[in-house]
Amino acid sequence: MWKKFRADRTAPLFYDQFDRFRRSMTKSAKNDYRWVLKDVSLEVEPGGTLGLIGVNGSGKTTLLKIISKVTYQSAGTCQVRGRLGALLSVTSGIHPDLTGRENVFLYGAVLGMRRQVTRERFDQIVEFAGLTDAIDRQVKFFSLGMQMRLGFSIAAFLEPDILLVDEVLSVGDANFQQKCLKRIEEVVRQGTTLIYVSHDLTSVEATCKQALWLADALVQAAGPTREVAALYRSSVQEDASLATSNEGDVRLLKAEIAGPDEGPVRSLEDAELKLTLNAPEAVEADFFVGVSLGTAFPMFITKHHGLFPAGDFEVRCRLHDIPLPNGHYSVWAAMSGFGKWSGMPYLPWKPAVSFNVFGPDMLEPPEGVMVAAPLYVGTTWDVN
Amino acid sequence: MVQIRDNSAILPEPPPELLYRHHSRLRTCLPELWASRDIILTLAERDFRAQYKQATLGVMWALLAPMAMLFIFTVIFSRTQVYGIAGIPYPIFAYIGILCWNFFAQALGTGGNSLLSNNALMSKTQFPRECFPLETVLVTALNTVISWIPLAVLFVVYGFVPAATSVWVPLLMVIELIFTIGVTVGISAMIIQMRDLVQVLPIVISLGLFVTPVIWQFDKIPPEWQLVYGFVNPLGPVIDDARRTILLGLSPSWGPLLAAGLGAVSYLALGYWLFKRYEVNFADIA
Repeated sequence: MWKKFRADRTAPLFYDQFDRFRRSMTKSAKNDYRWVLKDVSLEVEPGGTLGLIGVNGSGKTTLLKIISKVTYQSAGTCQVRGRLGALLSVTSGIHPDLTGRENVFLYGAVLGMRRQVTRERFDQIVEFAGLTDAIDRQVKFFSLGMQMRLGFSIAAFLEPDILLVDEVLSVGDANFQQKCLKRIEEVVRQGTTLIYVSHDLTSVEATCKQALWLADALVQAAGPTREVAALYRSSVQEDASLATSNEGDVRLLKAEIAGPDEGPVRSLEDAELKLTLNAPEAVEADFFVGVSLGTAFPMFITKHHGLFPAGDFEVRCRLHDIPLPNGHYSVWAAMSGFGKWSGMPYLPWKPAVSFNVFGPDMLEPPEGVMVAAPLYVGTTWDVN
Repeated sequence: MVQIRDNSAILPEPPPELLYRHHSRLRTCLPELWASRDIILTLAERDFRAQYKQATLGVMWALLAPMAMLFIFTVIFSRTQVYGIAGIPYPIFAYIGILCWNFFAQALGTGGNSLLSNNALMSKTQFPRECFPLETVLVTALNTVISWIPLAVLFVVYGFVPAATSVWVPLLMVIELIFTIGVTVGISAMIIQMRDLVQVLPIVISLGLFVTPVIWQFDKIPPEWQLVYGFVNPLGPVIDDARRTILLGLSPSWGPLLAAGLGAVSYLALGYWLFKRYEVNFADIA
């Protein structure tokens, strides 16, 4: 499947054609469009689950729009069997001047639900959204979170053959997110085919068996979600280290991490992190080290306050009892000023080194539950 | 184990035989449209409700607005009876024209922009795009039906009894409806392609009020041109025949009316064809 957009999407068509004609006359034809999907092929079995991952602008939403026939492909074919329910945006169908009740019927109809069906499921929808008290209020007096909850709840009770979901789990509070995931899980168990788009890898891992990674209009990798997500994570990390390699006064020259006796890092054992840095002058600063799963957001951080010399110096940090299961992780580091230089970013937060942890695999969570960060803690059980 | 794909072999452009051609067939489009009738009704309900939400007088405004306009027209035009029909109170004469014209003008004014104003919905949900212009025509029709009530008031005030030939009015309204839908659907598709029309449309509509026999009579058009005029502007014969049947007790003048009917159907065919022709990139450029 291929899809192109004209580069300037505001250019009106007639003008555009005139312009193209003029350019073809003067033989200075240049591309006035860009490809947002190139040679993308995918197949989802009935009842299957596919997650689409990729950075902003990689074509995920466009792909969903083509599948749902909101827009059409530029080349190639797209075959969809079964009734399709597409939730591309939770609030786009909601009219601010109408009450919540009226909006349930409106959005339901727009998403392809018959009035009778909406009426039957109305109480369930309102209860799911937790809006029993507010349902007869005009939606413009709802908070944004409430509007989103309403939108998602309507879609959650569509029960189509194929469900397309785009980036909607950023909806509402943690409680509601959990409820949404559970609902999606339920819908999938009833045999619905799911195609799910999100930046949030953990929620993709929680809901989808297969994943497709899109970057620059191309398929980078496709296969089981775990493996694709791992590839995606390491690429995001590489991008981040390229993007931040030459900022700040302090430079990171070398970084390595090793387990006991220079061996591999193992779960619940110590690991030693060695960083070689260079500073133009001696500074008093806070040195931060964090471990993350490829994102800029660490699962845990540790900090050392001290005086750092000018020139080359080495920072050693011993991490005790690394609480991580088997997997690929990365160390991020930063150095920021102290006292009157408080907050001064001597060394910006950036990835230093990535490493593998050997040990037990992460446990599968119960269905519909996503694990925010894979920590491994030794446990003792006792049942009386 | 999954590996990162080597995409270097992918061509910069897709092979020409893969290019997507958008085909719409009436055979598939019309059943789809019929299946979406719930959506049209719901969208119309949305617009109708939203229109009067938070207004203290609410739906009363659907009645008050045309009455106010009627009052203005009565005050202004009752002194200048030059264009009316002898023996018929001018306000009644004019109001029938206004009713017919307003339906068309309002439907086109809101319906022409309906794809733009529903952009958020259109680019996120999938159902036949014709629903948007059709829905606005439906809302306007509902408002227009309410606007017929002041006409009854006028009849009472002037002690005028509508003629029995008024039974032809539904036929006239069907022709007007076909014409209105055709133009609205076509213009809504064109506006997406050429935004300049957003500015042009109100100008054309206000001009139209004067080239259509709303405040003057259809007789002003030379008889040899009446057929052509009826084809190009079906509203002319429709308004004229509404007056003939309701006020004068005559049957419609069939020649111009037939031309109007043909014209209306042609507008619908052309408008729908344009709509389907350009439908493929609505969501991309709207």
